[in-house]
Amino acid sequence: MTAGGQLPGPHLLPSAATGPKSNATSDGEWLRVHPASPFVRGWFALAAIAFFFGRDLFERALQGQPVFEEGFARRAPWLLGGGALVLAVAVLGFVLTWYFTRYQVSGGYVRVNSGLLFRQHRQARLDRVQAIDIVQPLLARIFGLAELKFEVADAGQSAVRLAYLKIDNARQLRATILARASGAVPAAGPGTASAAGMSAPSVTGRWDPPGPALPAGPAPEAPEFAVLAVPPSRLIGSLLLSEQSFFIVVGGVASVILSALTDNRAFYLYLLPAALGLAASYWNFFNKGYNFTAAISPDGIRLRYGLLDIQAQTLPPGRIQAVKIVQPPLWRPFGWYRMQVNVAGYGTSGNAVEGNTRTILLPVGKFPEVLAMLSLVLPDPGTAQPAVVFAAGLTGRDTGGGFVTTPRRAWLLAPLAWRRNGFAATDTALLIRSGRWWRELVLVPHQRTQSMALQQGPLARWFRVADLVLHTTPGPVAPRLRQAGLDEARRLFDEQSARARLARKRQTTEQWLRQVVPAPEPTPVVEPDPVGEGEAVVEPVEILDSRMQNQQEGQRNG
Amino acid sequence: MHTGAIDPPSIAWQRVSPQYVTVRLVEWAVANLAALLVLSAPLVFVLLGWWRWPPLWLAVTVPAVALVVALWRLALIPRQVRAIGYAERGDDLLIRSGIFFQRSMAVPYGRMQYVDIAVGPVERALGLCTVKLHTASPGTNARIPGLPAPEGARLREQLAARGEARLAGL
Repeated sequence: MTAGGQLPGPHLLPSAATGPKSNATSDGEWLRVHPASPFVRGWFALAAIAFFFGRDLFERALQGQPVFEEGFARRAPWLLGGGALVLAVAVLGFVLTWYFTRYQVSGGYVRVNSGLLFRQHRQARLDRVQAIDIVQPLLARIFGLAELKFEVADAGQSAVRLAYLKIDNARQLRATILARASGAVPAAGPGTASAAGMSAPSVTGRWDPPGPALPAGPAPEAPEFAVLAVPPSRLIGSLLLSEQSFFIVVGGVASVILSALTDNRAFYLYLLPAALGLAASYWNFFNKGYNFTAAISPDGIRLRYGLLDIQAQTLPPGRIQAVKIVQPPLWRPFGWYRMQVNVAGYGTSGNAVEGNTRTILLPVGKFPEVLAMLSLVLPDPGTAQPAVVFAAGLTGRDTGGGFVTTPRRAWLLAPLAWRRNGFAATDTALLIRSGRWWRELVLVPHQRTQSMALQQGPLARWFRVADLVLHTTPGPVAPRLRQAGLDEARRLFDEQSARARLARKRQTTEQWLRQVVPAPEPTPVVEPDPVGEGEAVVEPVEILDSRMQNQQEGQRNG
Repeated sequence: MHTGAIDPPSIAWQRVSPQYVTVRLVEWAVANLAALLVLSAPLVFVLLGWWRWPPLWLAVTVPAVALVVALWRLALIPRQVRAIGYAERGDDLLIRSGIFFQRSMAVPYGRMQYVDIAVGPVERALGLCTVKLHTASPGTNARIPGLPAPEGARLREQLAARGEARLAGL
């Protein structure tokens, strides 16, 4: 901060940012992104300029005309000058944007200053980091660059982006941010951050970290252990059997019948652009879902996927607000499921396609893989037999696994699904299940419940049932318990308030490695509590214990 | 105070100001009179003989139905206002609303991101205000309309203080 946020200090050479050999992540230093990044980002504009000027020449060459019309020599200087001017302005714009975009990691905050005429200063609290992505579009991959993108809960708007960094730098920066966000490296609390961070530069690791100690200097990357990978064949199969394909087949058959009946061939014409759009959509899914792997590290869940554009997401522990597991009818013979999550910031940022792919926790997986992912999301399932409960939630009906379903008197409201619609509460999460054909199971950790509402319309009142809506951050998951019996719903409303309150009290800080004052408790104690109507037994079972256990085991294995 | 079966038992609900009915009436008038004018324009044109279409029965039916619906909603307004209630509990704020479609909501103090007060022109004239609670979820559509201004200010301060004391992360 001593360099000042307003103007680039003369002693801050750009090389400081680019060289990975310099301690690129030390405290308080203002750094720039990679010099090549404006061109990687602006290649589209450059390509457009090239296209604009080159098309004419190209067309002439194709038509066999002389490439330069007569009188060209007279105009050549003007044309060349104009072209050069446009190019120069574009390049200058990119370079200036690059020059005035700088970032700093210090004292519990990441600050990004950007803009030439309209300066923008963004500051993001590290302990509020919700997720970190490293994105590599194809062109950036060729140059060995990557974009670092992180969602911060208190930033209000979309993600903080740093585009582009060298891939090693990006990884390093991610490790640093995560180390501070987790509390492994003292990033100084928000109160003392400014003072301490400014007066003493490069204090990394000077203080004695109370948590797991890390060596001074740049934080090492947390070790990670692969959990699962989705084979491409299954991805293709899942795409072919998706809801989309179903509607394509129906639409295709309908149009063929229509054209046969009306003796009109024009229908095929309409099919052509539709097919193109569908191919693009399938390609998009395939490109995004290809080579999907999930891994676990102390910093949270790592997801990696992509064919041309590679994306690596890191979801720190406890940042997942809600999980949805769905099974379309066509997937049922194969036992496939899809998992989606709500993460603060994911739902609101960027365009729809991007937001959609980023919220996918598992594009397609079988039951054991779903369980594996669930164990990452919810390290302490809060029940003695998680497999039984989750299996009941995914495929079961009626009261198996401790679920409470819609009472029989209200079967008319959901003639197919009333035996599925139901809920079960474990010590750590609420499970809401629904759907007979489109099976769906929603999990909301108790400590992530924002607010709740009971709703009842006239029809529901007649049948003495009510809906319970849990509010969560924007995303694909909208937890809603449908048509629960009135008494059960009211009891759940009260109990859920109590459970959420207790879970909130247990969660003391956002820094997940510091969250637990490490009590000498070697094994995760899971209370063998009867599932369901447990009186919200509060054992001070630390949520992180089982995760730590996981890591230790993983380290032994790895 | 109207309470429904879904409300937690033995809660001392606070009512909003009865003057809020006036606010709702003004809102109702603005919305419905405009709609009625637009919908009855064809009837006028048909009666004047300017238009051949629609047939007379249709031109009469549409505004008539709209009028009936509007009057029905008008009749509901006082009851709807009476049905709005809120209660400050130890750890959360309860808000209830609705007669036919009831909703009973609990917003934990620790989850509130911020509280704001909105005052519209009609509300200002009557000395009322609307308190809105925001959590990290847009689904938390928690607003308490029609509070007397001092009560609104008190509630905001109270909520802010309690939120501060119990603030949890996201």
